[in-house]
Amino acid sequence: MQHEDPRNGESVHRGSKKSKLSSKFITESDIRDEFSHHHPSVARINNGSFGSCPGSVLTAQRHLQMQFLRQPDAFYFNTLRDGITASRKIIKDLINADHVDEVSLVDNATTAAAIVLQRIGRSFAEGKFQKNDTVLMLHCAFQAVKKSIQAYVTRAGGSVIEVRLPFPVNSEEEIISEFKKSIEEGKSNGRKIRLAIIDHITSMPSVVIPVKELVRICREEGIEQVFVDAAHAIGSVKVDVKEVGADFYVSNLHKWFFCPPSVAFLYCKKSASSSDLHHPVVSHEYGNGLPIESAWIGTRDYSSQLVVPAVLEFVNRFEGGIDGIMKRNHDEVVKMGKMLAESWGTNLGSPPEMSPAMIMVGLPSRMCLNSEEDAVTLRSHLRDHYDVEVPIFHQVSKDGEEGVRDKDGFITGYVRISHQVYNTLEDYEKLRDAINQLVEDGKTCKMLYKE
Amino acid sequence: MAAVNGTSAADANSQIHKKPRLYADPSPPLFTPSDILYEFSHHDPTVARINNGSFGSCPSSVISAQNELQIQWLRQPDDFYFNQLQPKILQSRTIIKDLINADHVDEVSIVDNATTAAAIVLQQIAWGFAEGKFNHGDAAVMLHYAYGAVKKSVEAYVTRAGGYVIEVPLPFPVNSVDEIVHEFRQALQRGKQNGRRVRLAVIDHVTSMPTVVIPVKELVAICREEGVDQVFVDAAHGIGCVDIDMKQIGADFYTSNLHKWYFCPPSVAFLYCKRSINNSDLHHPVVSHEYGNGLAIESGWIGTRDYSAQLVVPKVLEFINRFEGGINGIKKRNHECVVEMGQMLVEAWGTHLGCPPEMCSSMVMVGLPACLGISSDHDALNLRTCLREKFGVEVPIYYRSPKDGEDGGVTGYARISYHVYNKVDDYYKFRDAINQLVHNAVTCASLPIS
Repeated sequence: MQHEDPRNGESVHRGSKKSKLSSKFITESDIRDEFSHHHPSVARINNGSFGSCPGSVLTAQRHLQMQFLRQPDAFYFNTLRDGITASRKIIKDLINADHVDEVSLVDNATTAAAIVLQRIGRSFAEGKFQKNDTVLMLHCAFQAVKKSIQAYVTRAGGSVIEVRLPFPVNSEEEIISEFKKSIEEGKSNGRKIRLAIIDHITSMPSVVIPVKELVRICREEGIEQVFVDAAHAIGSVKVDVKEVGADFYVSNLHKWFFCPPSVAFLYCKKSASSSDLHHPVVSHEYGNGLPIESAWIGTRDYSSQLVVPAVLEFVNRFEGGIDGIMKRNHDEVVKMGKMLAESWGTNLGSPPEMSPAMIMVGLPSRMCLNSEEDAVTLRSHLRDHYDVEVPIFHQVSKDGEEGVRDKDGFITGYVRISHQVYNTLEDYEKLRDAINQLVEDGKTCKMLYKE
Repeated sequence: MAAVNGTSAADANSQIHKKPRLYADPSPPLFTPSDILYEFSHHDPTVARINNGSFGSCPSSVISAQNELQIQWLRQPDDFYFNQLQPKILQSRTIIKDLINADHVDEVSIVDNATTAAAIVLQQIAWGFAEGKFNHGDAAVMLHYAYGAVKKSVEAYVTRAGGYVIEVPLPFPVNSVDEIVHEFRQALQRGKQNGRRVRLAVIDHVTSMPTVVIPVKELVAICREEGVDQVFVDAAHGIGCVDIDMKQIGADFYTSNLHKWYFCPPSVAFLYCKRSINNSDLHHPVVSHEYGNGLAIESGWIGTRDYSAQLVVPKVLEFINRFEGGINGIKKRNHECVVEMGQMLVEAWGTHLGCPPEMCSSMVMVGLPACLGISSDHDALNLRTCLREKFGVEVPIYYRSPKDGEDGGVTGYARISYHVYNKVDDYYKFRDAINQLVHNAVTCASLPIS
């Protein structure tokens, strides 16, 4: 039975005394309250980048931070380890892992990637892998992961295969087919593929990848290990690590699971070699298993790892719990995406079933978004002049391929909109109107540089 | 009792009678004792907190500043990421550069803690072996009293990669700097046997357990004489505790935690890397899109997390400058008080200090009565727990195994610290707790196991 923690109890009672009696579930005004620390005039439709955290969880976190500062030794000896274990157990159940030993808490997916890839690097250094043994990744893998591959694989003598996925994408089959092709090409000169890194939900452009299917293909093709980078997954799609079947699976809890910055779980399927995974920041716990190593990497603020119980309480105030939240986020983001695409005369980057709580919406071609710089400039312009926060993607057109068009030309830019419980219709209308205004004023991205 | 907390009684009185200062007075008033009480009012008032060395401490005004920054991030994280974060990190780095007398801000990276810094320095040693720059069996030298995490990091990155590790035994109790220098020279000779190169020396500036100030400047000079490739000074307890001057000390790498003795919240440390070495090979192990842009820039973004502890350094400087003599005044008073308290305790217990006063900083090892029967690390931990739970005293205990021929002597030492928030009562509480245990003929063997 979970020990009833008075810190968490207080968060439930704060600000919702009436609603506890009158309504079973959290109300709209409770939600506004919980996110009242968000900038009130910003249309915050980029939950994907940095996530969000409700007031009651922040309060629980603050209590833990003050507890440490009050008597850090007592906290270290009596509270910390048990608190992390409690969080790990909750996560194990959420993700359907077999054993809590398979669940480690780390700062973020970036750290998890370093852990997995550092071991690959050691395998090269120690002669377990041969020069030119290969790591496979998606072309649109997160930039930090790509650099981590450079740092630990390429540097150690390994080679890399990039799988180019189509975008815009119309079906899972397109992805599966591209993936199979790339593996064939990769293996064509007899190279051994030691690790495949597959995003569960790609970042930019954002699309849900059929990971279960791809992991199965990896096994068929004799790829040794599979690492699923699911930075965006927990709280936005169903996560079942046994179903997915990967060797490693990481997801950030501060993106879609309401934790404060920052905390992620790294699931490592129990195997002969799991004892050889290490946190790169080595403490006295070295050799005691990754979960124990990760629970102490020197003096720091571990409070964000300790509030998972408080987050569960928060999530269960919503109808349907996290499943209900996921469904409503998905339905809303698709609805808003369609509203925008219709208003702008553009398209969606993927079909609804491949867009969980985020969706890519084409920008009018008249904006002439032709480079990464254009995307950054437009994003800043929207932030500074329209109070809209939304990341922008530049779609590079492939040689010889016909892109998607609107009535004026090729669509080369997309916004990645998100929907989380704090969003309202006004947020998307603000974005809609901002873009329409820019188009009406005849503004292209290049013209925005001067402003 | 020596003047504590920056003000003598006379000063305190004159503060009370001064007229309120005008806003934007260029020199803010010095802290009064009651100001300091307030700044640390979040500390557990029932605990004699004499272990500043382990986890440090942070005043309320700095915590408030940190909370402000956390709220700013939560309010609009994208805006903070694009417009605030890197300039603020640079500001902190610049302040640190001046504090430590580094040549260039590029030499100063900010990381979580000394444990992380060690991993960074040692990882490049591992690459040296992996890439054939070093020969199998080339050596790394470290002190026997090196911090546990650093020893494990050396195992993970050096031993595993094929390096040979030499530990420098240090005497404890120690009587003079010469004893340390002598052992160090001998260890370097061992390192160079059989044509080995010594690729790295890891030297503590202030050892953790048992705590002693090491003559780093002299040891670095010896390393240069003896052809050691690189010297890494682990000064986890350095800044705010002892004098640190990068150019004077002359090491290639130097790390210190700011959350121990420099009033920062958990956690933040700097890693200084002398420009003359090949810095392009130093990387933060958590690789982000900034990989290859230099360690300082890499460390400035290692994925989404709370960087607020790294951003409050300007506020900490303000805090420190409200003490008479600034950080130097604080260091001096901490040192004098901890020696005074240490001597009070050894006199009360009939024991001795672990080192002469000039070899301790703001911490000192105080011998515990032999009749307590501390005969293992477990005993030391159990005694520490007993002191915490039964007497409200927080102090780490060190077990020193007796050398051959020694019998019935002191085998346990308490590492007491003194910092601006401490009071003489903290040490009386500790004195009386031990006296009571002795009086009741309590031995470690009879304590509950923690």
